Amino acid sequence: MADLAAPSRATGPALHLEGVTYSYPTANTPALCDVSLNLSPGEFTLLAGRSASGKSTLLRAACGLVPHFHGGEIEGRIEVAGFDAISAGPGELAAVVGYVAQDPETQVVSTTVSAEIELPLEMRGDPSTSRARAVEEVALALAIPHLLDRAVDTLSGGELQRVALAAALVTRPRLVLLDEPTSQLDPVAGDELIWLLRRLNEEWGVTILLAEHRLERCLAAADRVIAMSAGAITFDGSPGSFLAWAQGVDPALETPAAKLFSLAGIAPLPVGVRDARRTLASTTAVDAGEADPLRTIFPFSAPTSRRQQPHAPPKKAREEGVRLPSTTAVRAKDLWVELSRSDDERRDVLRGIDLTIKAGERVALMGRNGAGKSTLLRTLAGLTNAVRGKIELPAGIALLTQNPGDYLVRERVGDELPGDAGLAALRIVGLEHALEADPRDLSGGERQRLALAIALAGRMDGDALPGLVALDEPTRGMDRARKDDLVGLIEELASRGAGLVVATHDVEFAAAFAQRIVLLGDGVVIADGPAREVLSGGWYFATEVARVLDLPGVITPERGAEVLRRQSGEES
Amino acid sequence: MRSPFAYISRPRPLQSASPGAAVVYLGSLIAVAFLYSNPIVLLAVGFALVISGRLAGAHAAVRAALWMGLTLALLIVAVNALVVSRGETVLARLGEWPLFGQVDVTLEAIVAGLVLGLRAAVVMVGFAVYSACVDPDRVLRALRPIAHRSALTATLVSRLVPVAAADAARLRDAARLRGPGAAPVGRASLARRLLAGSLDRAVDVAATLELRGYSLGSRHPTAGATFSGSEATERRFTRWVPRRRPETIRGRRSRYDRRFYAIGLAVLAVAIAGKALGADAFSEYPATEIGAGVTTIVVATAVALSGLAPLRRRPRRDRSNLSNRRTASNSLPAGGGS
Repeated sequence: MADLAAPSRATGPALHLEGVTYSYPTANTPALCDVSLNLSPGEFTLLAGRSASGKSTLLRAACGLVPHFHGGEIEGRIEVAGFDAISAGPGELAAVVGYVAQDPETQVVSTTVSAEIELPLEMRGDPSTSRARAVEEVALALAIPHLLDRAVDTLSGGELQRVALAAALVTRPRLVLLDEPTSQLDPVAGDELIWLLRRLNEEWGVTILLAEHRLERCLAAADRVIAMSAGAITFDGSPGSFLAWAQGVDPALETPAAKLFSLAGIAPLPVGVRDARRTLASTTAVDAGEADPLRTIFPFSAPTSRRQQPHAPPKKAREEGVRLPSTTAVRAKDLWVELSRSDDERRDVLRGIDLTIKAGERVALMGRNGAGKSTLLRTLAGLTNAVRGKIELPAGIALLTQNPGDYLVRERVGDELPGDAGLAALRIVGLEHALEADPRDLSGGERQRLALAIALAGRMDGDALPGLVALDEPTRGMDRARKDDLVGLIEELASRGAGLVVATHDVEFAAAFAQRIVLLGDGVVIADGPAREVLSGGWYFATEVARVLDLPGVITPERGAEVLRRQSGEES
Repeated sequence: MRSPFAYISRPRPLQSASPGAAVVYLGSLIAVAFLYSNPIVLLAVGFALVISGRLAGAHAAVRAALWMGLTLALLIVAVNALVVSRGETVLARLGEWPLFGQVDVTLEAIVAGLVLGLRAAVVMVGFAVYSACVDPDRVLRALRPIAHRSALTATLVSRLVPVAAADAARLRDAARLRGPGAAPVGRASLARRLLAGSLDRAVDVAATLELRGYSLGSRHPTAGATFSGSEATERRFTRWVPRRRPETIRGRRSRYDRRFYAIGLAVLAVAIAGKALGADAFSEYPATEIGAGVTTIVVATAVALSGLAPLRRRPRRDRSNLSNRRTASNSLPAGGGS
């Protein structure tokens, strides 16, 4: 029997599913197929799988939204900390389970942060003194006491995500469910959130079930991994054995470090950077940071001798990525943009940006949340006015904003893009076959392509693209396979002569498509150079492979494996 | 971009005050605007609300409300001048108009329109200050035990309005970013799309409310009650009782509450007494007569001064410490004290 006042005293599994099969009301196929699992108290479990594999549905079933809120048909048994989740609704389960969804915008219901965090306690009927203490403690645990008096609509995405997490944790639930909580966070905030969850898991004993696409970010923090495909559990085991399974069954779920090791023929596959470095130190003599502890502590410090970077690519090779056509796609000079955050608070979001992008160049725009990436793209596209500076766009710009759905207002693809100009744009993105389709019936990737075609239509001279194509955070909620498709599209557009600039938080995605990285910090350009240099010269804005090997210019598993193979060849 | 009328928490007396105190204070001023037609008193109410809004830091809300209010006032003046032909001072005879008939523009009709417009503008400023300075969460929390379903609706609406505003801004941006070869998007298409999106948003917000336990209501279990999952479902072993009085965490009670209650009630008392004593002397037709007697001036002065209620009190200087310090400095020898 669970005690409402002290749920942590209860024993038994935090989550128990037995033969659960569930279908959404209008779906032909079940979203969950005969799912059985047991989560012990205090476990940190990672839920992996491609898009539409059933991860979100499983989380919704564990918090009672399925079937109570979404309807549909369900079979089997779900117990959450002793509660029968199929008969009890999410309101009753709120005492023992906290849920954090992907989009923080829709997870807040109050005007101020303190009221938002306090609401679940108020609904539970806690007295005001214990509410005050609980709010204060959860705010301290999540490092947000300074936000308590702020209005929720003045918060950044990262801050909002923390507030949603605080509201989920304030009742001290036994089980916390998180659905891609880092998808809108920059690498710094994403890492902070994952390790914060690990700390809460260790110190408060909270059971955590986390669904995530960027596995490299959280695999090292997890005790257990569950993989799903087509609504069924296809793997359940330790992170190490998951990597071995993914290598054989679904390589799209491999982390970059695991791919590096498998390409280089090194075993066992590493679950994180530390694990990889230890394995490398014991198996090879590669200069992977162990030989140069200072480089690990101060990752930006330049190597002092040639000996410390024996495998640095030759200068010509490093510059290969920035060999550019001469036509300019965009030139921005001394760009200043001021935005108001509130009635009496205005601030410079961009401060003297100088940026030139050539035709055919592929540029990733990176930086923390609020660094000015989206504002820069909006200013280039004319949605925001600069208070100072000059922009030259000789051949125009097409901008795709963060939500492709905003571009889709009609019920037939052909109605969105009529005439020859529309057909030409559809041909560019490979959707000319979908003229009769309803945009809502297209997959997520196809909808994104259609939105891009809408932005391109009429801006092309025949089949020639506009000078600059800009994409703002196009990989939110995407799995690896869809990201690979997007990389293909970007390369295709660049090969047709358009300059490509993509604002993204996804370091691995940037490494896959970008020739050049522009790193923004508080409205100024703090790094601008070839992707290989920028993504291997830091800690947060560096790929997993770069963090493992710590070698200048080595950012992808393929290149890293080549270096490791050469190293082992020299040794033998 | 945020609405100028959106609430922003500031360390100012009006924002710190409990919702009841703020509502009594602002409500009394708005009530005077409805109670009186004398333009001197109406101007005093407007002055008080503008000053109180500015002292509370709601500059943008006051500015926006004044702008909207004055636009509305001009519209009312124009309509009144065309529709009402009463009054002794005819300024223009515009002949027969379809629907309006004989149109005579009189000075009295213009003044009457101005007074109506002034009242509308004053009320708009009052609600703008309320919206920008009174925490809606605290108002809803106060409302919840009295009318749970209404509070739920208000919570959904108060969250959906800014979300819908943000969605509308994004849809407008996307419409501007469509290529010239894509089908143009009219206001009707955007409105349809926004409505469809709002329904999805409403479902998301409702799901969040459900997850926060809103369906349980503002109730608390009897001390010591325990229940299992199935027991909770059937609610057999748990006796839920309504909370008697909601409390807030931050700024549970403000030291300014008494001031706002006192000034609000005083304004109402003065206004009612003044009305009884003829302070609201004003007639529009047939000739405009604006009373400016002593009682009117007293009421207007009292109402105008009430606008200073949100003034922050400076810390009181400790006279004993000050005199001690003076004594000490006087007793120090020139050039140092050691």
